[in-house]
Amino acid sequence: MRLGDAAAEPLVHIQDFRMDFGDKTVIEDLSFDVRAGETFGFLGSNGCGKTTTLRALLGIYQPTAGTLHIGGKFFAPSDGARLGYLPEERGLYKKESVLDVMVYFGRLKGLSKSHAKAWSRDYLERVDLGDKATTRLDKLSGGQQQKVQLGVTIMNDPELLILDEPTKGFDPVNRRLLMDIIEEQKLAGATVIMVTHQMEEVERLCDRVILLKDGTARAYGTVAEVQEQFGGTLYRLTYSGALPSSPLYDVVTDDGGSAELSPCPGGDEATVLRHLIDGGVAVRSFTTARTSLEEVFIKVYGEHHELAGV
Amino acid sequence: MTQHTPAPQHAPAAQTNPVAVPKRPFARHNLGTVVEFEFTRTLKKRGFWIATLAIPVVIAIVFALVYLSNSSSSASADAQKTASMSFTYTDNSGLIVPEIATTMGGKKASDPGQALQDVKKGLSDAYFVYPAEPAKQSVKAFGSDKGIFENNKYDAVAKQLLTASAQAKVGSPQLTAAASGGVRTETQTYKDGQLAGGFGSAVPPLMFLVIFYVSIILLSNQMLSSTLEEKENRVTEMILTTLNPTTLILGKVAALFMVGLVQILVFLTPIVVGFIFFRDKLAIPDLDLSTISFEPGTMIVGALLLLGGFTVFTGVLVAIGAVMPSTKEAGTIFGPLMGLIFVPFYAISLIISDPRAPIVQIFTYFPLSAPITALLRNAFGTLSPVESVVIIAELFITGFLVLRLAAHLFRYGSIQYSGKLSIAGTFRKRSSTAGAAAK
Repeated sequence: MRLGDAAAEPLVHIQDFRMDFGDKTVIEDLSFDVRAGETFGFLGSNGCGKTTTLRALLGIYQPTAGTLHIGGKFFAPSDGARLGYLPEERGLYKKESVLDVMVYFGRLKGLSKSHAKAWSRDYLERVDLGDKATTRLDKLSGGQQQKVQLGVTIMNDPELLILDEPTKGFDPVNRRLLMDIIEEQKLAGATVIMVTHQMEEVERLCDRVILLKDGTARAYGTVAEVQEQFGGTLYRLTYSGALPSSPLYDVVTDDGGSAELSPCPGGDEATVLRHLIDGGVAVRSFTTARTSLEEVFIKVYGEHHELAGV
Repeated sequence: MTQHTPAPQHAPAAQTNPVAVPKRPFARHNLGTVVEFEFTRTLKKRGFWIATLAIPVVIAIVFALVYLSNSSSSASADAQKTASMSFTYTDNSGLIVPEIATTMGGKKASDPGQALQDVKKGLSDAYFVYPAEPAKQSVKAFGSDKGIFENNKYDAVAKQLLTASAQAKVGSPQLTAAASGGVRTETQTYKDGQLAGGFGSAVPPLMFLVIFYVSIILLSNQMLSSTLEEKENRVTEMILTTLNPTTLILGKVAALFMVGLVQILVFLTPIVVGFIFFRDKLAIPDLDLSTISFEPGTMIVGALLLLGGFTVFTGVLVAIGAVMPSTKEAGTIFGPLMGLIFVPFYAISLIISDPRAPIVQIFTYFPLSAPITALLRNAFGTLSPVESVVIIAELFITGFLVLRLAAHLFRYGSIQYSGKLSIAGTFRKRSSTAGAAAK
């Protein structure tokens, strides 16, 4: 059984989702789709409703209103065989052995006992925990436990991988391992939904993103589209002379030797550069840059908003 | 605000499963997996076996001590039988037969004061003074101190001499036995024209009470901590994406029941072995199995009361685990709950002798005290068929509702990691569309 058909998009469909906790509305009229095979960044400040949305999508929370579909229907635990979920609040049965826990989750995800055991042993070897298979989880270091947690998440070759702040609390080694795993899963055709505050990872891995603020979507689309929406392209130049005003660009910053120009309609790179030279500006360097997602994030959430984990 | 942008330009990657993973069928998924995991992991724990084996080991030690003690007592008794005791006596009643006294080592004292002095000096073992009216006055026995237990022989010999002398004067052992009440009676009663089983028929259904009691004692803490474990280990979210909470809870209940059976078997083994092979030496009462009768109706009612009570009890414990953030805090409710379950034992004589008493009626119908009260009344034949049906129905309906509530609270309470769950909050009104999501 598959969660979704590759030809039938989207794999995840959220429409008019609303979530109230008592009198407080946490999510309001949220709609977005995640297409099969893409890596989707679910971004937002702490407490803006990302985890709540994922929990409602997976049936852990009961939504107040709206449609939250995976593969065209509400998620049920029997679909768990195709899901890899790394929750924000994560843990395992600490008093059991590594292998027992991995095999248990493997079986819950539909693997046979022998396959789950063989897969687990191979994975533990890969992450240098081959000699820890029979060790109790609470005897492992935090980093070693994280590796086991990652293994449990992906051991069923999930069709949909949902990672809620996957690098939270991870040491650099495990963070690298996680990124490798995400890329592997992506290459294998998995759809990935990733909640993260690591904007460079989003730029590197994600095809599309949604930015959530106060329970509503503030930006949604491909990374390039969101960058365009919140600042778009900038021309950075170093120069000597006087920078002329022009309808082709707006001057964003100018300290007399270097400047950032925001192009206006018709102000492509070549036209602006020619215009500057014709205007007597001695241009020593000229580069085009997009607004980074981190800058977009700060624009959306305010200059003083702290990026947790950044 | 809802924002949609055009679809991304890139084509989605091909959605293929790279590895042909053998999958198990997913119908009624994972109940067996949960039962197996919960059962085997408990049995794998060293602490479980230490705790479980500790009880039969203690029983074995007690049996060994009893055996050694009995052996020692037997040897001592044999020694006392063969030992001779010299005593003197004075008889103001005229009942003592001198020939019998002489046979037992006694000699009539001519001077009571001298007889007592001889005892004090150790020249004589004992001196007995028989009063004029033994039925109203005490026989006095003076003896040299031989220790608390061995001193009892003075009392025994003094009584034996008087009894033997009295029997000799009456001349009929039957009359003596009848006068002293030393006769046996056998009672038979009839119910609906049939011979009633008596106490023998109460024993089998009482086993259900024993099983209920033992299962609560052994499993309650495990049940409470078992459901709290998911919360305390932050494992709930991963669990709930692979099985529904009802399956998890049913699996845990089934596994713990199996663990309880294992423990009962371990506990019973030394008792059974002791009964079969060492019954005589351990002074275990000889159980006459012919007096035990199994009445089908009573047994069925007992079994249903046990199952219903177990369901209520487990549901309540799971619900507590779902609401409370930690084992420590759950303990504050757990104690009073246990009190409510066991409080009928404090009124056991009233339950057996006066089942119509108001307090017994309250205990009979209050869901938490009902199992023990009803099991007792069922065993002693004071639970009517109508009452049985009502209580069994009440227990199963309550148990079902509590288990449903427990599963509901687990679903929403087990991811509330830091505080106590608002039960009312989990039932807030939702739209019908949303409601379908959680089904």
